[in-house]
Amino acid sequence: MNENSVNYYGKMPDPLVGSREQKTPPTPRAAAARERYFGTRSSASMEFPYWYTRRWEELEGEIPVIRRAEALKAGFEHLTPTIYPGELLAMGKASYLRGSFPMPWLSEAFFMAAEDKFYQEALVSGKLTADTFTTMGTGGGNVTQSIGKVISIAGKFGLRVEEMPVMIEVAKRWKDKSVDDVGHRYEQKVPGYKEKEAIMRSVICMFDSGYTLPQGREVVNYYYPLQYGIEGIKAICGDAIAEVAGKPGMDRLYFYQAVKIMLEGVQAWIRSYAKEASLLAGLEKDAQQKQEYEAMSERLHWISSHPPRNFHDALQILWTFHIAVLNEDAISGLSPGRVGQVLLPWWQRDMKSGLLDRDKSIELLECMRMKFTEIDCFASMGVVGGVLSGNTFNNLCLGGLTKEGTSATNELEMLILEAGIRCDTPQPTLSILYDEKLPEEFLLKGVECTKIGTGYPAWVSNQVAMEFLLKNYGHEGMTLEEARAWSIGGCLETSPGSWMPLEFDGEIHWIPGGSAPATSVGVHFISLPKILEVALFDGMDMRTGERIFPPHGLELNSYEELWKVFRDYFSRAVHVLTLTNNIQHDAWRKIAPSLVNSMLKPDCLAVGKDIGQMGSRYNTTFNVETTGTANLVNSLASLKLNIYDEKNFSLEDYRKAILANFGYHTAKETGSFSLIDQTPNQDYDTWKKIHKLSNEAPKYGNDNTYVDGILREWETWFCDMTHDYLSIYDQPLYACQISVSTHGPMGAVTLASADGRLCGTTFSDASMSAYPGTDRNGPYALFNSATCWDHSESQNSQLNIKIHPSAVKGREGSRKFLELIRAYLRKGGFHVQFNVVDSRMLKEAQKEPGKYRGLMVRVAGFTQYWVELGKQIQDEVISRTEYEEI
Amino acid sequence: MELSCKDCTFYLPVDVFQGLCKISKAKILPDDAFCREAGKLPKCKFCHHFTEEKDYLGKCKGTTLAYHDMVASKCADFEWIQQN
Repeated sequence: MNENSVNYYGKMPDPLVGSREQKTPPTPRAAAARERYFGTRSSASMEFPYWYTRRWEELEGEIPVIRRAEALKAGFEHLTPTIYPGELLAMGKASYLRGSFPMPWLSEAFFMAAEDKFYQEALVSGKLTADTFTTMGTGGGNVTQSIGKVISIAGKFGLRVEEMPVMIEVAKRWKDKSVDDVGHRYEQKVPGYKEKEAIMRSVICMFDSGYTLPQGREVVNYYYPLQYGIEGIKAICGDAIAEVAGKPGMDRLYFYQAVKIMLEGVQAWIRSYAKEASLLAGLEKDAQQKQEYEAMSERLHWISSHPPRNFHDALQILWTFHIAVLNEDAISGLSPGRVGQVLLPWWQRDMKSGLLDRDKSIELLECMRMKFTEIDCFASMGVVGGVLSGNTFNNLCLGGLTKEGTSATNELEMLILEAGIRCDTPQPTLSILYDEKLPEEFLLKGVECTKIGTGYPAWVSNQVAMEFLLKNYGHEGMTLEEARAWSIGGCLETSPGSWMPLEFDGEIHWIPGGSAPATSVGVHFISLPKILEVALFDGMDMRTGERIFPPHGLELNSYEELWKVFRDYFSRAVHVLTLTNNIQHDAWRKIAPSLVNSMLKPDCLAVGKDIGQMGSRYNTTFNVETTGTANLVNSLASLKLNIYDEKNFSLEDYRKAILANFGYHTAKETGSFSLIDQTPNQDYDTWKKIHKLSNEAPKYGNDNTYVDGILREWETWFCDMTHDYLSIYDQPLYACQISVSTHGPMGAVTLASADGRLCGTTFSDASMSAYPGTDRNGPYALFNSATCWDHSESQNSQLNIKIHPSAVKGREGSRKFLELIRAYLRKGGFHVQFNVVDSRMLKEAQKEPGKYRGLMVRVAGFTQYWVELGKQIQDEVISRTEYEEI
Repeated sequence: MELSCKDCTFYLPVDVFQGLCKISKAKILPDDAFCREAGKLPKCKFCHHFTEEKDYLGKCKGTTLAYHDMVASKCADFEWIQQN
């Protein structure tokens, strides 16, 4: 096969369009910070985990939540502060620019040496299988190999050789005590546990959530520190302690005490930075830089106790608490939410008083973008590469509605978009909560941003999200008014929020913020094409020869029989994974209860319970997440047509063709993970006819009722069946349909599929995206296919489209682009986002990555630097259908 | 004991491969030669309570795990080794 096998809708212009729409550059300050970032590698350190572990061990026998608080406090107060020249916002997760650290209290096996017995045990239980099928990006800031005095961990993080022995020693101290190990001990009590291990080894499921990323995919709530300051929160805790001490419900006493202790650690951490800023001011010769260090020191001293006095203080508090949450657990998808609405009162006052102007505001917002871009998450290769692609999914949302139901967008959000245009970096990614009430000017600004090719903002339906929330959180008391406070948590997880009454200059401002713990934990991710493959082979994984599910023993003489077997196997996987993940999350809330995030989340402080004890206002937060929707649906359509309706060949012949990879070399053999560049082998002629008919079978994304009916049947069944399973919070699960990067490694372990896809190639991305090259009738046909079911039945659905820059060029192009977006969202689509790029440039960037350090693409819910993506994902993005016309 | 830039209180780590000098703002490497004795950074290996064992590991006050290259600026127990 070659590049011509990918269908482009319309005629590709000649020559290559290497640039995107013209844009204003960032401020010199942000430009310098970005250049520094480009030259920086992901780096791990041991300060935090060392002190955490040391204090933890000292307090054996203490009340667990107090022990946890003291350990966190020790971690925070011993972090070495690092402030880089030109920064206006200080503080980072660890003492490197892209710093992170292991959290062995969660899991310790993956960063042990491959020959270590801990690592080997984890391999046997299937916990690390995904790691072995993940390709990491080889460029950018990834430390892919050990060099000199630096050890590479998980193909991404560098650790100084001097810290390696202590990392191993600390990890060993958590053996049999970490969330991972304790959870593993008890999950084996679940009937059918062995089936779970087989599921993990086959990579039908990508990873366990309880010890990998137990928090995240949620929205932070900054209300308490913004309203009360840290001393104010400590006073709230002090009053509550006096109120509850000695009375029934004693856990509240420990919780409040633990929050106070943790906050003391956070205060010490902030004050370390204040002291460092002061030291730097003393060394500084440049008058402006000296003044900035002095101001920074004063600001940090102030916010270590008090609520903010101005926008800059407020932004610093927001950032500080954001990374404070990130330092209590391994977390991806911790979204700042509707920042422009939360910080609006301070910004308006500063603009009015002259403390800020438009340019200064943009500069600060650009600095904020750089800080979010610097966030790394230390995790295993399967997680950091196979799921996150090195990103951490901090999603900033714009638009939506106010508490009263009017447009919530404002001038500050326009500047956030402007900063996103000028300082185009992966984080925070932006999403517009689209509502018909949003003003045209704001929407066109959003289009202007999307057009420059950043991959953001994503466009998300406010109404569909609110419908989903009312259906799933109504029984917990959510009202229509409260549903309007929602935001995206992580890539694309619809997350409940609440309105908090911010008292400001004698008035109440109702600010939105997250009001639930992680809204995407549980069963993550299930490979739909792999389940179908196993169904076709009577419960066996033919790649490994291992039995996964009991044999169904059926001839599969009808499509209905095949469809039933698929559902049965899928249900078995969901059943056992729900139970085992519940146990892991129970171990997490007992061993490493959340304190920073709990303190922030309404109504934990009010009721005296952490989020693991359902202190949050909303707790229906577990889900079943899937990957490979288009490949599943296309495969079912092909089987239905070729085997059962037209009887073009037998199922047995199909099985043989799949095992023979339709007469092609595998992706592993060719080193290419899309259908582009696949090469036939000597058996090509034997399987040519079957492969041709498989490719010609109806494909999702073309407004074809045959295949769209199969999609609707799948979605209707799937969204409904998830409610039959209960989380540890005794709440029903719901459907979640995003791929992030899992379509790469999950495709890598899957044989050829009945839709014509070849062995080891990456699945279709997202859930509503068509398989690359198969959507041949244009974007509106794709929209019709995607909206043939009710998207509000699922936490999300995801559609990614690639458009050539020439198709949306100029003002007229912007108008057409907005109409295209509107068309999809008005049809009931939940999410659409775009890569505005010439695919030929991506191919060039793959050949010569050094020339494209700043090139970003949208993957599936997140934007990432091209050079930091693994080849599985790069190949898939290149091969996506590119629309030359809209 | 041979010292390097990463042992200096004026070393600003950027990543595991490189850093900046807080005074000159020049890009420096962590293993570059140490140039300012006065700016020695508190680390376990300079602490009176630290006993080195092997592989960069040691004990704090004879009982607690510690490692020689750990920054001890925030450690309440840190005491400089008395120079003879």
